Amino acid sequence: MSLTIHTTINGKSVSAGAEPSTSLLDFLRDTLEYKGTKLCCNTGECGACSIIYNGKPINSCVTLAADANGAEITTIEGVADGDKLHPVQQAFIDTGAVQCGYCTPGYIISVKALLDRTTKPTAEDIEEAVSGNICRCTGYTKIVDAIQLAADRMAGRV
Amino acid sequence: MAKAEYTVLGTSPARMGGIERVIGAGIYGIDFALKDELHGGILRSQYAHAKIISIDTSEAKKIPGVHAVVTAADAPDVRYGRTSIDRYMLAKNKVRYMGDPVAAVAADSPAIVKQALKKIKVVYEPLPVVIDQEEAMKLDAPTLHEDMPLPKNLPADVKVKNVCSFTAVHVGDPDKAMAEADIVVDEVYETKMIHPQYLEPRIAAARVEPDGRITVWANAQAPFAVRTDVARLIGVALNKVRIISTELGGGFGGKASGITSGAAIEPICALLAVKAKRPVMIVLDKAEETISTTIRSGAKMYIKTGVKKDGTIVARQGKVVYDAGAYSGFGAMAGARCTNMLGGWYLMPNCHIDGYVVYTNKQVCGPVRGPGGPQAAFAVESHMDSIAAKLGMDPVEFRLKNTPKPGDKIVGVPKLRDVSLGETIRTAAEKIGYTKVGAQHAAPVLGKNQGIGIATGSWIESAGPGGGAVVKVNEDGSVTVHIGKIDMGTAPRFGIPLIAAEELGVPVSDVTVVNVDTDASPWDAGTVGSRAIIVSGTATRLAAIDARNQIFKMAASQLEASPDDLEIKDKQIRVRGTPSKSVPLATIATAAHNIIGEVIGRGYCDNVAMMAEEKARGSSQPFTAHACIVEVSPDTGNVKILKYVAVHDIGFPIHLASVEGQIEGATAMSIGQALCEQVVFDNNGRTMNPSFVDYLMPTINMMPRIETTLVHGYPGAGPYGAKGAGEIACVPPMAAIANAICNATGVRITKLPLSPENVLRGLKEAGKA
Repeated sequence: MSLTIHTTINGKSVSAGAEPSTSLLDFLRDTLEYKGTKLCCNTGECGACSIIYNGKPINSCVTLAADANGAEITTIEGVADGDKLHPVQQAFIDTGAVQCGYCTPGYIISVKALLDRTTKPTAEDIEEAVSGNICRCTGYTKIVDAIQLAADRMAGRV
Repeated sequence: MAKAEYTVLGTSPARMGGIERVIGAGIYGIDFALKDELHGGILRSQYAHAKIISIDTSEAKKIPGVHAVVTAADAPDVRYGRTSIDRYMLAKNKVRYMGDPVAAVAADSPAIVKQALKKIKVVYEPLPVVIDQEEAMKLDAPTLHEDMPLPKNLPADVKVKNVCSFTAVHVGDPDKAMAEADIVVDEVYETKMIHPQYLEPRIAAARVEPDGRITVWANAQAPFAVRTDVARLIGVALNKVRIISTELGGGFGGKASGITSGAAIEPICALLAVKAKRPVMIVLDKAEETISTTIRSGAKMYIKTGVKKDGTIVARQGKVVYDAGAYSGFGAMAGARCTNMLGGWYLMPNCHIDGYVVYTNKQVCGPVRGPGGPQAAFAVESHMDSIAAKLGMDPVEFRLKNTPKPGDKIVGVPKLRDVSLGETIRTAAEKIGYTKVGAQHAAPVLGKNQGIGIATGSWIESAGPGGGAVVKVNEDGSVTVHIGKIDMGTAPRFGIPLIAAEELGVPVSDVTVVNVDTDASPWDAGTVGSRAIIVSGTATRLAAIDARNQIFKMAASQLEASPDDLEIKDKQIRVRGTPSKSVPLATIATAAHNIIGEVIGRGYCDNVAMMAEEKARGSSQPFTAHACIVEVSPDTGNVKILKYVAVHDIGFPIHLASVEGQIEGATAMSIGQALCEQVVFDNNGRTMNPSFVDYLMPTINMMPRIETTLVHGYPGAGPYGAKGAGEIACVPPMAAIANAICNATGVRITKLPLSPENVLRGLKEAGKA
């Protein structure tokens, strides 16, 4: 290992070694055992590997582990509050937006990042926020419902 | 049971397994790791067609960290295949597509695997390549399988080659009827290959156990079919192989056809584990998966229909040339289905269609979501609009005129029971705002460059293997269900728990549906063919009733009542009409320990009986109609879907949100095939767009909201009158969109995808852009 990465993941300080060529996704999954962040296309197209990096959602498969040095990272494992699901997680379950579930962690990350900014997203905001997340199961209809429900609950509208 | 009496059926409680999916628990195959495991990798052919002259693995074996290198020489001389046994797990003598597995390596790290694969020296003698299935049929085309005879049922006067199966549909006297028709419309349609592109990469992990048995973990839709072929190809007895299903991150039929689906990744992994004497895991890279695993084939479809002036269809003639790819795969079944469905699902008194399934040097055909159906429907339902236009008749009116009634026959189905087709058409027309008739007359509701389109579909799902269920009632009154079908976001963890909960009077959250382990689960053909709710649902219902009967028998003596007078609700067994006389389910389930040990209900779906009933009473197959409004840019050819309605009869929706979700997802998949998806090849058979960068799929940006409507009153062959919902919504979308484009522009596009470049070309050729 030629690099030592010091980073903060889900509020916890972590230090571990990585090769200069190691992707942040592989670093998270294989070195640190954060298996919730999913491997799929490895080309930054599908969003299954989304994480929140210094407040912004990014594709971890096309980011180097080295870039995590000094960064604040939230993975899907850090979204719930202990056993209490985050409203976005609960909304995905309640609306039937989780079929196979493989894209779900990436979606929840992208949607959390959106709703952290605003709980009154427009249709365009929603489309823009998850345009980098491919879902092959749902046809997106119930995902839009889930996002709207989560926003409404977080804003206390329902 | 009347609908109103159901407690949980027809509702939409949270999916079983939802929490672990939203918190990112490591439940999928890809999250899995075995102690001391090696990494496996596969060397794939770099030629689409070549003789293998020699394979030298000596350099690869010398690399430190390499534990096994295997080729066909290391495995028994056994081939596999479903209809034609035409394929080795590792290519022997010949490779037939770019992606054909040739050798495999197990090593300490993925980097060493890559290094070793590069060091395997394969000497090839390249052979001519044939990519197009019609070219492959010509007598001067290269031969893919020298030792595969032409199908026995091929007519003697047909001179072709590379045909791997043949289907002929004959009804009435189409030659005579066609000659007597007032109008004849003759067209050719073509669809391209698409990949199902489930998001979770395919994996296999294998370990030789201390007792010599081999355990394989796989994310396969049909674990029992995988078991059969792993045992055969490794050369061990069936009972020496155990397949454990990991959770599946999508499948869509792409993981459904036993080991064919993953181009034998499971037996290759098992062979590596045997040779390396260490556990091995293989994970396919997405681009590798696109070029090597099973796909939805392209089809070329010739369709000619004769009609009377009043719109009555009198005859159809046609031909299907269906691409099997390099091996038979699921081609025979999918091609036969496509051939039958080219006859349509309307009244068709005279029909003749020949279907050829043809070997080409490409990826192998699998049973991808509605095998053969979406392709046929693109032709049939586009063609229906072309005929209506020629007749000067409204497309909706023309379809309704030829819609069958209960008791009528359609091509491939001798008798229909209830026919929802008419209601789905009328409902779709109404929901899309298709007032009065005439697509042209609908213009007032449409803006500039906008058009409206409708298309219908049907699907057969009440034929196929049977399957069983075991329902155990634990001493706390909770319920454990064993079925042979895996969950991939479908019925096993949505509808099945509701059935057990309904019949045993327990909360849905008290039901566990166990994932498939071939050592413990009932045999099953897999989660395929829209049959999870029909097979496993029927079996679970009967198993739960069997368990309930055992419980009532034990409770009857305690409650001093007849078992016939008992009911079970809220985990209490009560004497009907005397609520004070009750005993908790947990008490009886615990008491069972001293009597029968455990309450174990058994049930099965008897396919022979189900088919006999369907034959006697008529087929209860589902129908659907989809309608949409699109806007076509005359400058770019871009098609935007402004509104989309999907009207379905699926009998009774056991889990409502799941049924809607299946319809929405299947619709989206075909919208993808309609507008952008295709696997593109060069002349050498190389896939030009293997990665997600180049293989375009629908994102949220191009998807309309799918507005689903269910029509009721047409019970199916499944439990409580349910019908399968997983595939049928894939059938109509391509034609619905093509019809809307035609309505908007006057241009009929007969070749998929309806991408900007193809639409623009169509507009230019018609002088409209």
